[in-house]
Amino acid sequence: MSTATRKIKASTIRKLEGSVFIAPWALGFLIFMVFPIGYSFYMSFHQVKILATGIDIKYMGLKYYKYILFENGNLLYNQLFPFLRQSLLMLPVIVVFSLLVAIMLNQKFWGRSLFRSIFFLPVIFSTGEVVKEFITQGEGDVDFLAKYNVSSIISSYLSPTWAKPVNAILGSFVLILWYYGVQILIFLAGRQTISVSVYEAARIDGASPWDVFWKITLPGMMPFILLNLIYTTVDLFTFPTNPILSQVNSSNYGQSSALAWLYFAIIFIFLGIIFWIFNKVQKASNTGAR
Amino acid sequence: MSKVFTQMKRTNLDRIDWRLLLTRTRYFVFGKEADKGLIFRVFIYLILIDTAYIYLNPIMYMIATMIKNAQDLLDPSVVWVPRSIYTGVLTDAWTKLKYPNAFTISMIISTSVAVLQTVFCAVAGYAFARLEFPFKKFWMFCLLLTFVIPLQVIILPNLIAASTLGIMKTYYPIIIPALFGHGLKGALFVIIYRQFFSTQPKELEEAAKIDGANVFKIFYKVMMPLARPAILVVFLFSFVWTWNDYYLPSMYLNGSKEVPLSMGISQISAELAQQAKDFGPSIFDEPLKMATSFLIILPPLLLYAFTQRWFVEGVERTGLVE
Repeated sequence: MSTATRKIKASTIRKLEGSVFIAPWALGFLIFMVFPIGYSFYMSFHQVKILATGIDIKYMGLKYYKYILFENGNLLYNQLFPFLRQSLLMLPVIVVFSLLVAIMLNQKFWGRSLFRSIFFLPVIFSTGEVVKEFITQGEGDVDFLAKYNVSSIISSYLSPTWAKPVNAILGSFVLILWYYGVQILIFLAGRQTISVSVYEAARIDGASPWDVFWKITLPGMMPFILLNLIYTTVDLFTFPTNPILSQVNSSNYGQSSALAWLYFAIIFIFLGIIFWIFNKVQKASNTGAR
Repeated sequence: MSKVFTQMKRTNLDRIDWRLLLTRTRYFVFGKEADKGLIFRVFIYLILIDTAYIYLNPIMYMIATMIKNAQDLLDPSVVWVPRSIYTGVLTDAWTKLKYPNAFTISMIISTSVAVLQTVFCAVAGYAFARLEFPFKKFWMFCLLLTFVIPLQVIILPNLIAASTLGIMKTYYPIIIPALFGHGLKGALFVIIYRQFFSTQPKELEEAAKIDGANVFKIFYKVMMPLARPAILVVFLFSFVWTWNDYYLPSMYLNGSKEVPLSMGISQISAELAQQAKDFGPSIFDEPLKMATSFLIILPPLLLYAFTQRWFVEGVERTGLVE
C-alpha cells in the first residue's frame, strides 16, 4: 500500500518537474504562436484599420480570399507559378548537391578541415542581405553558359513555361550553392549515425564503393534526405526576398493575412506532395532491393 | 619498401620488376580500393577546389572592389589586385552606416537573443528529450508546427500587439520571444538540443539521481556541461542569423533612427538610388555597396574564424538530426 502511494507520488513528481521545464516554452508557444495564428486567421475575414483611438474592425467574410483567388491575379498567381516552378527545380539540385558534398567532406583527405570551414561559410551568410547583394552583383553567373549560348538551346527545346525557370536556375547556379549551408550540416551529422562497422563488413565482403554507396549510405541517409527536403522547402518559401511574401505588409491587414494564410496552405500542400512522393520512392526502392 | 627489395633479390629480377611496377602504378593510380587511387583523389580535389572557389570568389571580389581607387575601377586590366590601396570608400561606408552606433545595436540584439535562445531552448530541448510531462505528443506536434509555420503568417498580429503595448521601435519585440525559447528559428534550436540530449547515456542522470541530485541540479550540473558542442552550435547559429536578419528589424524598427547593421545595405541602396536620380550614377556606387557588405559581415566572419574548429566538431557530435 505504502509503496504504491509512493510510486504514484514519484511519477507525479516526475511529471511536475517535466512540466516546470517545458512551461516557459509552452507559455511562449501560447503567446507567440497560438495568439498570433488565431488573430491573423480572424483578421483575414475582417477589415482592420489601426486608428489613433484604437483598432477598427469590420466583418468582411470571405471577400479577401475571393479577391485574391478569383479577381486579382496580381497578388498571388503572377508570382506564385514562376516561383513554384523554380523551387520545384531547385529542391532536388540543392539536396543532391549537398548530399554529394557532405559525403565528400566525410572522406579522409589532406586539408579536410580547411575545406570544411570554407564549405560552412554559406551557413554564416545565406540568411543575410549580403547574398542579395551578390545576386545584383552578378556573381551568380556561370561563364560557360554565355560562351556556348546554352540558354538559346534550352529555349528552343523546351516549352517557354519551363525554359524560363531552367534558364534562371542555370543562370544562378552558383547562387543555389549559397542556399545549402544547413543542409550540408544535416547530412554530415546524419552520415555519422551510420556505424563504421557496417562499412568494414561490406568491404570485407568485397563490395565495391559504388555498391556501398547505393546499398548502405543512401538507405541510411533516407531520413535525412526527407528532413532536408522539408527544411529546404520551408526555407525557400519563407526566404525574405521571396516575391509573394513582400506583399504581406501592414498596408492592408485583412488582405495581407488572407494572403499569408493562402500561402501557408500552399506550402502545406507542397510539403504533403513531397511526403507522398518520398513514400512512393522509398516503397519502390524497398521492393526493388528485395 | 624493404619487403619489395628482398622479394626482388630472391627471384628473377627483370620479370618481377615489371609486374611489380605495373601493380604498383595501378594501385597508385586507381588505388587498392576505388576511393584511394590517384584519379579519384584528383577528381575529388578538383570538385572541392572548384566549389571552394565559388564560395570564396564573392568575398574576394568584395574586398578587391572595395579598395580600388577611381583609376583602378575604370581600368579593365585591373581585376583582382589593385595598384594601390584606397580606403576612401571604406571610410565613407563607415560614416554612412554610423558604424560604431549601429554595431553596438546589432551587438546588443544579437548577443541577448543568442544567450537567451541558447539557455531557454536548452531547457525546452531537455524536457522534450528526457522528461515526462502531460500531453507530450501534442507539444511535440506544436514544436514541429512552429518549425513549419512561416514568420509572415504571424507577423501582423505581433505588430499590432507591439503597437498596442507601445513597444514599437524598441528591441523588445525581437528579444522577448527568445526568453521563452522562441524567436528567430527557435524551433530549430529546440530540435537540435532535443536530438543532442537524447543521444546522451541515461546512466549519467541515474547516477546523479542516486547521489541525491534533483532535476534542476542534474540539468545544470550534469547535462549542460555535456552539451558544450550543442551550445556552441546553437549560439553561433543564433548570433549570426540574428545579426544578419533583416526582416524583423525592418518590421519592428521601421522609421526608427537606431537601426542595426543588417538594415544598412538597404538604407545605403536607397540613398544611392536617390543620388543616381539626382546626379547620375557614380563609379563608386558598387564599391560603396561592397564596403558596406564587408563591414556588416566582418564581425560574424571573425567570430566564425575563431570558433570554426570547435564548431565543425560540434556539428558532428550534436547529431543535428532525426
